[in-house]
Amino acid sequence: MSIFERRPALRWAVPAVAAVVLIGGGSAVSGLRAIAGAGLPDRSAAQLLVDVRQARLDGLSGTVVQQADLGLPDLPIAGASGRAGSTGSSDLTSMISGTHTVRVWFAGPDKARMALLGSLGSLGESDVIRNGKDVWVWASTDKTATHYVLPSHELPNSSDKAAGKSRATPGMPSPKDLPISPQAAAERALAAITPSTQVTTSGTATVAGRSAYELVLKPKEPTSLVAQVRVAIDGTEHVPLRVQVFAKPVAKSASTSLAAPVFEVAFSAVDFARPDAAQFTFNPPPGTTVTEGKAAIDPKATADSKTKPGTKTSTRTVAPHPSAADLPKTVGKGWGSVLVAKMPVSDASAGTSGSTGAGTVADKNVAQLKKFVGLLPKVSGRWGSGHLMAGTVFSALLTDDGRLVVGAVTPEGLYAALAGS
Amino acid sequence: MSAADLTPGRTTGPATEVVGAVATQVATAPTARPRRHVSTRFLRSELRLIFGRRRNQAGLGILAVVPLIIAIAVKVSTPRAGRGPDFFASITSNGLFVSLSSLSIELGLFLPLAVGTIAGDSVAGEANIGTLRYLLAVPVHRTRMLAVKFAAITIFSLVATVWVSLVGAVAGLALFGGGEMTLLSGTQIGMGQAVLRVVMAPVYLGLCFASLGAIGLFISTLTEQPIGATIAVVILNVMSFILDAIPQLSWLHEWLPTHWWMSFGDLLRDPIVWGDLTRGLLTAAGYALVFWLAAWAHFSDKDVTG
Repeated sequence: MSIFERRPALRWAVPAVAAVVLIGGGSAVSGLRAIAGAGLPDRSAAQLLVDVRQARLDGLSGTVVQQADLGLPDLPIAGASGRAGSTGSSDLTSMISGTHTVRVWFAGPDKARMALLGSLGSLGESDVIRNGKDVWVWASTDKTATHYVLPSHELPNSSDKAAGKSRATPGMPSPKDLPISPQAAAERALAAITPSTQVTTSGTATVAGRSAYELVLKPKEPTSLVAQVRVAIDGTEHVPLRVQVFAKPVAKSASTSLAAPVFEVAFSAVDFARPDAAQFTFNPPPGTTVTEGKAAIDPKATADSKTKPGTKTSTRTVAPHPSAADLPKTVGKGWGSVLVAKMPVSDASAGTSGSTGAGTVADKNVAQLKKFVGLLPKVSGRWGSGHLMAGTVFSALLTDDGRLVVGAVTPEGLYAALAGS
Repeated sequence: MSAADLTPGRTTGPATEVVGAVATQVATAPTARPRRHVSTRFLRSELRLIFGRRRNQAGLGILAVVPLIIAIAVKVSTPRAGRGPDFFASITSNGLFVSLSSLSIELGLFLPLAVGTIAGDSVAGEANIGTLRYLLAVPVHRTRMLAVKFAAITIFSLVATVWVSLVGAVAGLALFGGGEMTLLSGTQIGMGQAVLRVVMAPVYLGLCFASLGAIGLFISTLTEQPIGATIAVVILNVMSFILDAIPQLSWLHEWLPTHWWMSFGDLLRDPIVWGDLTRGLLTAAGYALVFWLAAWAHFSDKDVTG
């Protein structure tokens, strides 16, 4: 006390020190994760790949944080919602940008659940629950539940495929099909391994408090926008815990070489104990609009039986569904592959006006989308002309004759694909 | 000796309260070990001062109007699913949601304003009406005075949030009834579990608001105008909400005092997501500590003129 009485100004040191300690301590907690985990024996890239392939997972529960900075402008219908003032972060469509928290539970191949929590400030939750042949999709914001019954031959699939499948059903819009769980993301990244990829390991990392190996995949394809993909693999369970995608630095600003991943899915907490079976039961609560969805296997049938007008129909116009004769095709291979699709423009407007009640909303969305496309920079070449959207890891091009070209390549890569197709 | 000794002084009015306080302090000092007795007595007299004031009672009354309005409005016209503020569509299925709706509506301005009023008034108010000098003239250490003031602010903010949700729960249960509650995850829980979760929400928010109260306490030591301190607290609160809404400042968001408030909704998931709630409580504790220490640093050698 006496020193404070002699030098009153010293008192201010107390709150100042407290503030510094708190901020420093808070940052240190998050920084601790970056400190490399020690105590793991060396393992080659090939060994790791085998480990991952052979990993047998009995059960898992955890929290996954997904961050995406794909360099996309905010779509006017992002969240694909006609609701006013909805920040819509618990919508499954909003996964393309921002930070999202997903809770996952997994117990055996046919029991899985993921819950997409709304971001802070919006109280909502979307759940996808698979229990045996039943798949339930629940949205708390509008209190709807959709029920799918999987065909029996789908059962042996791994749960992550199941989660991916249920997301890919027409009722569940998933633009660009971003992987949600680290497993699904890792599988996709590993599937892309061809002679075109340089695979290395880079020591170890700590993810969700667990020591993990890091696998680094570097595309050799010059047009690829992806600089590298890093997969952190749990040291003991051999389960991918984190997947990061780094973009190639833009030529003008070479300083941001590998600063931050443009896309990341990572466990922030993980527990390898088998979750309680009650976690996978879902009974639609009273007051819920329950829709029986068709199984994912038949896209034509599902495209016609729209479960809920409005939100979902409008999404369909954004992400064209392969219902028409113009099936999208892939040009090129490996990292340079490009998807060429025909936009079902006329089909979309006909379909939306047919659905009752939501026609105006959907039409408005289409009009907004057209306006939005018009704002994109116009490009032209031997292949014709169109509007280009250049993101951080992929480019999209909508030509004036209605072709949509998307790929994780530079715009030049898109032009080449168009010229070749 | 009894609590009644204090009653005539600090509750009946500013003019006489000092005399009463001084008299009792002097009277109790020789007769008993003063430390133990005085410690709760000071707090009790502080609480009596807060809850005895007409304006504060009126404020609590206004806070209670919101849940009543919500309950009646929803009863008159049922909201459609997916429309309206959070939890609105769920009210018809379980009246307890009135309590949560009112909390989510009032946490933007009403509740912070109430806490800011009390906190802004805590030191500056006494300085303004000239009682602070006398309060300090009795053997009350300034550090202890600040501790008691902050304890009183914390209790008030807990009372205010619990009060709002209590009124909401009673009104909701009366108009819509109880029963099983549907959580955000789509699962249903029994009434007992539901009540427990609905009780946890205001407690969490009350503790969060107490951190705002610590900021208010600090500002209150800087001025002799209680209204100025209150306005400053409300401005900081609104500012924090604005900063939280600017995506370019995302690195700052997790440090903002208001950032974790809406996390009380995580109590309604199955199972409860504790991560953000814990972060919210830690952030609140951090703000409370730093600003209480700042208040202490400034107030300990401040010249008290009021």
